[in-house]
Amino acid sequence: MAQFINTAFNALSLSSIILLTSLGLAITFGLMRVINMSHGEFLMIGAYMTYVVQEIFVKFFPESIFSLYYFVALIAAFGVTFILGAVMEKFVISRLYGREIDSLLATWGISIILQQAARTIFGMQGVNVQVPAVLNGGITIGKCTFSYNRLFILMLVVFCMVLVWYIMYRSNFGKQMRAVMQNRAMAQCMGINSRKVDMITFAFGSGLAGLAGCSVALLGSIDSTVGQSYIVNSFIAVVLGGVGRLAGTVFGSGIIGFSSIGIENYTSASIAKAVVLLIIIIVLQFRPQGLFTMKSRSLDE
Amino acid sequence: MKLKKQGYNLCFSAIVLVLAAMPLLLRAGVITSTSFILFLGKCIAFSIVAIGLDLIWGYTGILSLGHGLYFALGGYAMAMYLKLQATGGKITSFMQTGGMTELPAIWKPFLSAPVSLFLIIAVPGALAGVIGYFIFKNRVKGVYFSIISQALTWAAYSLFTGLQSYTGGNVGITEITSVLGSIKGAANMGKMSVLFYISLTILVIIYSLSYALINTKFGKLLIAIRDGENRTYFSGYCVSRYKNFIYILSAVFAAVAGALFVNFNGSITPAQMTISYSITMVIWVAVGGRGTLIGAVIGAFLINLCDYHFSSGEMVEIWQYILGAIFVVTILFFKGGLVGIVCDQIPSLWKKNPESGVVVNE
Amino acid sequence: MRKSISTLFLFIAIAAKTIRLDNGVTMELVSMWRYFFGRKKENYMKIRKISAIALSVTMAISMIGCGGAAKSSSSGAGSGAADGESVKVGILYSATGSMAISEGAVKDAEVLAIDEINASGGVLGKKIEYVVEDGASEPSTFATKAEKLIDQDKVVTVFGCWTSASRKAVKPVFEEYGNLLWYPVQYEGMEDSSNIVYTGAAPNQQIVPAIDYLIELGYKKFFLLGSDYVFPRTANMIINAQCKAKGIEVVGEEYAQMDQTDFSSIISKIEAAAPDVIINTLNGTGNLSFFKQMSEKNYTADDYMTMSFSIAEEEVKTIGADILANHMVSWNYYMTTDTPENKAFVEAYKKAYGEERVTSDPAEAAYDAVYLWKAAVEKAGSFEVADVIAAVEEGGITFAAPEGTVEIAGENHHLIKPVRIGKVDADGNINTVMETDPVAPDPYLTTYEWAVEANIQPVE
Repeated sequence: MAQFINTAFNALSLSSIILLTSLGLAITFGLMRVINMSHGEFLMIGAYMTYVVQEIFVKFFPESIFSLYYFVALIAAFGVTFILGAVMEKFVISRLYGREIDSLLATWGISIILQQAARTIFGMQGVNVQVPAVLNGGITIGKCTFSYNRLFILMLVVFCMVLVWYIMYRSNFGKQMRAVMQNRAMAQCMGINSRKVDMITFAFGSGLAGLAGCSVALLGSIDSTVGQSYIVNSFIAVVLGGVGRLAGTVFGSGIIGFSSIGIENYTSASIAKAVVLLIIIIVLQFRPQGLFTMKSRSLDE
Repeated sequence: MKLKKQGYNLCFSAIVLVLAAMPLLLRAGVITSTSFILFLGKCIAFSIVAIGLDLIWGYTGILSLGHGLYFALGGYAMAMYLKLQATGGKITSFMQTGGMTELPAIWKPFLSAPVSLFLIIAVPGALAGVIGYFIFKNRVKGVYFSIISQALTWAAYSLFTGLQSYTGGNVGITEITSVLGSIKGAANMGKMSVLFYISLTILVIIYSLSYALINTKFGKLLIAIRDGENRTYFSGYCVSRYKNFIYILSAVFAAVAGALFVNFNGSITPAQMTISYSITMVIWVAVGGRGTLIGAVIGAFLINLCDYHFSSGEMVEIWQYILGAIFVVTILFFKGGLVGIVCDQIPSLWKKNPESGVVVNE
Repeated sequence: MRKSISTLFLFIAIAAKTIRLDNGVTMELVSMWRYFFGRKKENYMKIRKISAIALSVTMAISMIGCGGAAKSSSSGAGSGAADGESVKVGILYSATGSMAISEGAVKDAEVLAIDEINASGGVLGKKIEYVVEDGASEPSTFATKAEKLIDQDKVVTVFGCWTSASRKAVKPVFEEYGNLLWYPVQYEGMEDSSNIVYTGAAPNQQIVPAIDYLIELGYKKFFLLGSDYVFPRTANMIINAQCKAKGIEVVGEEYAQMDQTDFSSIISKIEAAAPDVIINTLNGTGNLSFFKQMSEKNYTADDYMTMSFSIAEEEVKTIGADILANHMVSWNYYMTTDTPENKAFVEAYKKAYGEERVTSDPAEAAYDAVYLWKAAVEKAGSFEVADVIAAVEEGGITFAAPEGTVEIAGENHHLIKPVRIGKVDADGNINTVMETDPVAPDPYLTTYEWAVEANIQPVE
C-alpha cells in the first residue's frame, strides 16, 4: 500500500511539474498558435531569477527573512519573463502570426542566443539555489514521505490553473483574448486592440514559464541547458491533450507523468522514456488532433 | 523562368566544380591541410540530407524535425559494417561490457558488404514507410507532424542510449575507418580523394534526381500539396501516398548522407539523432533558401563552414549570438533564404517601381 | 564578459535597425540606391543578372571557405612546430552544449598553467601559444575539431576532452595523425593508447580502492546508480566483479538518462532495495537532481551513505553543502589537500578566475597535464610529437603536482598518483579521510585476481 501511495504521489508530482512547464505553452501554442521553442529558455530565466533574488537577499537583507526570498523570486521570475515575453512578442513574434513553422525556427534561434547569454552572464558552471527552510524536507505519514516542495509545486500548479482559467474564461481581458484568437478581423472591428491583446497574452504565457522555472530550481540544477530538458515533454503534453484546450493539457501532462513513473518501475529510465513516447505516438495516430479536440467545421484546422 | 532555373543549375555546377578542384589543389600544394577536404566531405553529406529535407519541407510543406533519426540510422548501418570489418567479425568491447559472448543477431547481416549496403537504404526507408503510412493516412499534418517526428527521434535516441550492449550507448560506434581504409593524414591522400569524389558523384546524382523529380508532374503535385492540400485531395489525388513517397525518399537521402558521413567522420554517436541536431538540419535549408534545391546545398555548406571556422577561440561566445541572430533574421525577413535574397530581393532594387517590388517582409 | 555583453547590445541594436528596415528605411535605401546608380540600369537583362549574382555569391562563399582554410594552414605552417618565437598547443573542450558546465573549469586550469609557464620563461625558451576549439558537447564535433587543430593549426599537442564519448571519438584522429592528447579526467579504464596521456585516475586509482575502503568500513549491501553511458556501465561492471569476489551483495543497479530531471522512481527503487551504501556514478546535472530529491525525502548520509565518483568541489558548490554533508567521494586531489604546491595552485586559480571559484580533481589533472607535457618536452629536447612520446614512454617524467608528486608510467601512459577518499563537511570542503601512497596505474586491472577471473579485459 505504502509502495502504491508513493508511486502515485511521484506520478502526480511529475505530472504537476510537466503541467506547470506546459501551461505557458498551452497559451502561446494552444491559443496563439505560436510554437515557442525558447519557452524552455524562459524557464531557464525563471530559474536564474531565483538565484539572483537569493543572492540579493544574502547581500542586502537580514538573515531572519532569508526564507522569504523564494516567494519574492516567484514574483520576480514572473515579472522578468513577462517583460521579456512582451519584448519578444513586439519584435519577433508579432511578425510570425499565421506562420507556425517559421515561428518554431525563429524562436529556436532566440533560444540559442538566450542560452549563450546565460553562459556569458552567470558563467559556464551551474549555480546553486538553497531550498527555503519552509520547503525543506518532507512530511512522513506512515511509510510515505511527501516532500514539501513537491506539495508546494502541486499547490502552485493548482493556483496557476485557477488563475489561467479565471483570466481566460471569467475576466474581461480573457473575453477579448479569446475573441482575437477566434476571429481577429471581427474582434478588431469591435474595437479590440488586437496587438495589445497579442502582446499581453504572449507575455502571460512566458511569465508562466518563468514561474515554472522558479519551481524546477527547487528540484534540479540551474544551468544554461535546463530548459532543454523540459521543453519537448511540454510540447508533447500540449499536443497530446489537444491544442487550445486547457483541460487537454492537464490530461496530457497527467498521461505522460503517470505512464513514465509507472513504466519506470519495471524497466530502466531510457527504455521507459522510449516506451512512453511510442505510446504517445500511437495514441496520436488515432486522435491526430489530441485527446480533447475543439469541434470545428473548418477544413484546415 | 527557364533561365532562372538554369541559373540555379549553373550555380550548382559551379559549386561542384569548386569542390572537385579541391583535392587537385591539395595535391598541387595550394591547400596544405587534408583535414579541410575531409571536412568538405562531411559537408557534402550534410548537403545531401539538406536536399532531402528541402524536398519534403520546401516543396511538399511537411516539416520533419526528426531527420537526424534517418541520418543516424544510415550512419549506424554503415558503422556496424565497418566495425565488423575492423574487428574481423568478433564482438566489440561494448557488447562484452553488456555481458555478451557472441555477436547479437541484429549485427549478423552486417558481416556482408552487399547486405549492409542494402540495409543502409532499406532500414530507414522501411521505417519511414511505416511511420509515414500511418501518419499521412490519418492526416496528421503541419505542426502536429513536426512534434510527432520530434517525439519519434527522442524515443529512438533513448533506445539507442539505453541499449548500450547493442549500440554502444552514448559513445556510439567508434574507431572505424572508411570503406577504403584510413583516409587521414597526408599519406592517405589518394584514398581520401577517391572517397571524396565518390561522395561528390553521389551528391550530383541525388541533386539531378531531385531536380528531375520536381520538374515532372509529380513535382508539381508536391507543390500543389504544399499550397493547398485539401484542393489536391478534391482534385482526385491520393495525397497521403504522394506524401509518403516523398517522405521515404527524403529518409533514404538522409540515410545515404549518414553513411557517407560515417566514412569521413570515423564514428557515429546518438548525438546525430538528437532533436537539436535535426532542427539544425532544417535551419541549413531555411538559411540557404527553402523551395530551391540549390538553397539547401548552399545553406548546408555555408552554415557548416562558418561553424567550422568561427566556433573556436575568442569567437565561440560571439558566434553563438551571431548564429542565433542569423536564424531569427533569416526567418523573419528573408523567407527565401540566401537564394531568395539574391534572386528576388536584390533584383527588385533594380526595378523601376520598387514600391511593388520590395518583398522584404512576409 | 563585458565585451560579450556589449556585443549583445550591439546585436540588439542591429536587430532593432533591421526591424525598422522593412517599413520606411528600405524605401530610403532604395531611393538612395537609385540616386547613385541612376535609372538607366532598370530592367536590363534581368535574368542574366540573376544567374550572374547567384554564381558570384556562391563562388564568393566557397572562396571564403577555402581562403580561410588556406590562410590558417599557411600561418600554421609558418609559426607551428618548433620554429619561430612560440610553440602552438591546442585546447579542446565544450564551450557550448550540455557538457559546458563541467568542461569550463578544465580549460581554465590549462590556460592558467600555460600562462604560468609563459611567465617563467616558456618551454625550451619558447612561449606557448594556445588555440582553443569548441567541441560543442558533441563527439563528432570533437573529432572534426581535433583534426582541425592537428592538421591546420599544426599544434604540437592537445589538452582536453571530458566525456568518454569525446575521447573515444578523437582517439583514432590522434593515432592516425600521430599527435598527442592529454586527457585530464578520471575514466573507466580499458584503454591504453600510445597517443593519449591519461592524467586522471585509472579505475584502480579511484573506483577499486573506494570499494575496498567501503568494505573495510563494514558496508555489506551496495546499490549501483549511474548515468546511462559508458563510464558508469564499465565502472559498475568492475564493481560487480569486485563485490562478487569479496562476497558483497549488490542489491540493485539503475541507470538514469543523461538529462533526467525526475529521480523519484529511482529513489523508490533504492528504498525498496534498502542498501547500506549507494555507489554513485551519475554525471553532471543528474547529481544535482538526485541529491536534491533525496534530501527532500529527509534522507541524509545517515540513512543512505553515498560514495560518488563524479562529485568534486564544483558539484558540491552547486548542490549545496547542507545536502551533501558527510557523503563520501573518491578522487586523487581535493582543494583541501595539504601540500605547498596546492596552496600556490588554489591561490593562483582564485586570483585568475575569481575568489568564488573552486579547484577540483579534473582541473588539477588538467593543470598537471600542461606541466607534464613541459617536462616531457624538456626531457626529449624537442617539440616533435614522436620525440615527446618516446620520452613519455621512457618513463621517469615527474611533476610536483598539487596532489603530490606524480609520475607518468611509461608503459601505459597513465599517472602514478595517490588515492584519496574524502568526506564532505558542513562548509562544503572535502576532507581527506583515507590517503594512500602513490598507486601505479593499471587500466586493464590485470594485477587484480578477481578482475582477471571475471574476464573484464576488452576483447579488442
